[in-house]
Amino acid sequence: MTTGLYVYAVVAGEPADLGTGIDGAALEVVTGPDDVAAVVHRHAAGPYEGADDDVRRWVVEHSDVVERVWERTGTVLPMSFNVIVAEGEETPARARLQEWLGAGAQQLRERLDALKDRVELRVEIGLDQHQVGGRNPDVVAMQAELETRPQGVRRLMRKRLDQLEREVTDALADERYQQYRRRLAAVSEELSENRSARPGEGVVSVLTVSLLVPRDAVPGVGRELAAIQDEEPAAVIRYLGPWPPYSFADVPGLTAPTMA
Amino acid sequence: MAEPAAQAVAPRAMEPTRDLGATLPDLLEVLLNKGVYLDLDLIITVADIPLIGVNLRATIAGIETMLEYGMMRSWDEQTREWVRRSVSRHLPLAEDEEIVMRMAGGHRDDERHGTWRPGTVYLTSRRLIVWRADPKEVLWQARLEDVTGVDLRTERSIGGEDRVRLAVTTTDGTATLSAAAPERLHGMLREQGIGPAAPARNPRPESAAHEGSLWYQEQLASGPVWRGGTAVVDRAGGVTWKGALDQRPAVRLRAEQLLSVDVESGRTPAGSAVVVVRTPTGGVRFAAQDPGPWVRALRRASRAARPELSAGAGGKP
Repeated sequence: MTTGLYVYAVVAGEPADLGTGIDGAALEVVTGPDDVAAVVHRHAAGPYEGADDDVRRWVVEHSDVVERVWERTGTVLPMSFNVIVAEGEETPARARLQEWLGAGAQQLRERLDALKDRVELRVEIGLDQHQVGGRNPDVVAMQAELETRPQGVRRLMRKRLDQLEREVTDALADERYQQYRRRLAAVSEELSENRSARPGEGVVSVLTVSLLVPRDAVPGVGRELAAIQDEEPAAVIRYLGPWPPYSFADVPGLTAPTMA
Repeated sequence: MAEPAAQAVAPRAMEPTRDLGATLPDLLEVLLNKGVYLDLDLIITVADIPLIGVNLRATIAGIETMLEYGMMRSWDEQTREWVRRSVSRHLPLAEDEEIVMRMAGGHRDDERHGTWRPGTVYLTSRRLIVWRADPKEVLWQARLEDVTGVDLRTERSIGGEDRVRLAVTTTDGTATLSAAAPERLHGMLREQGIGPAAPARNPRPESAAHEGSLWYQEQLASGPVWRGGTAVVDRAGGVTWKGALDQRPAVRLRAEQLLSVDVESGRTPAGSAVVVVRTPTGGVRFAAQDPGPWVRALRRASRAARPELSAGAGGKP
């Protein structure tokens, strides 16, 4: 029977009153040098696998632990779901994890310090194609023409109309992306592009980003988004957070590594 | 909630939501890595990688895109080894063969009535491969040393649309490949030292004066940061720069917006030359290992848009 360690997060110091983790597991702290530690539970089984609803519940329980630690200590490097340190041939999992904490202690420490009192905000901006299309003379003309056509022809025309609306909106999205990105960058310490979400029906995605922002600078982002919404009635904005810095737990800075 | 009276003095601000009902999909996306080629379960099965460092999380999330942009070379040895291992579970690779780039694509089987066979195009350190995962089959492949030339060709597709294809000439003849981003794959093959096979008989609709890897300086609240990406400068269209993981280009400047192009010195990831482009809305800063061709292409575009300035070279005394 091997015993692995399921890792929730890397933290600074030794947070107390951790509560419980996934499925009520007892949480422990594995300490490394430089006041860097990992929050774990002992895990004898393999990775979590199960029905979607179970996975959702586990992910939420994982994120609850990350949140609690974050609120207690003000900084955290969240681990992905299902990161489990295995027992080695000769080495217990705890020793392997300590070894890893030791090897990366300085970088982990620096990152934890840099993320102190920072929050992640997620911003998704899309454009409503009907609203954008309504401002385009070609779309309006096609719409008017559609009304005059017999029922049989309309279906095909609607398809073409939808296509034209999307093209017009996509061109506007290209233009707006630069501007919105620049404005959001100006109010963030770091910015990372997320995989583009599937926008709703009739919405063309412009940008999907995570922002790293000092906690007291959150209202500035809200004002920028309100301004964008006021200027562009067709904008569809999703604004989530504040979260622990999930998207910024990796490499400092957004500078891509050198391309040889 | 702000009251109407308060709104008169303070501008309106949107409030972010933490409601689990609304945020759960995003939370799942951020905490689960559903990479087809990589799954974190490897951690407890791959003996010599005891733990995926926190620093790998972004890599995993962006892996598809990173592969599509050929940014593998920028990863550390351990990550590359790990990716190689994951990929080779599907696609057989030689011992020292590395993945350089990967994207959706296909091969046109000219021996069978020109039928397109879709799959994934891999560029490795040794081969160019079109691979189909299910059922597993190498649809086409060539060793890079056998590739004598590669060209982009615009063809009319069955649907009547123009599509850019890759014509790969080898010692066996010329194969036609499709790719999600043919220009990028073409650029990467150029970087591997593979030139054109022949004078292009079918020039591309917009002749790109210059394209390749370029750094761009983005302004954050915390200060400027250099970001890697690819750019195209063309005489008619101006300049477009797109970050490797970005959804859309972050810079699009029409030729007439390129007021001047100068080189300044500064610390950049690509050396000490900063290419500064003055535009009506401010300066845009780029950096490249070899800034010369970029400066020339930008100045050509700038002059083409404003012939009255053609006397000056764009540099200020």
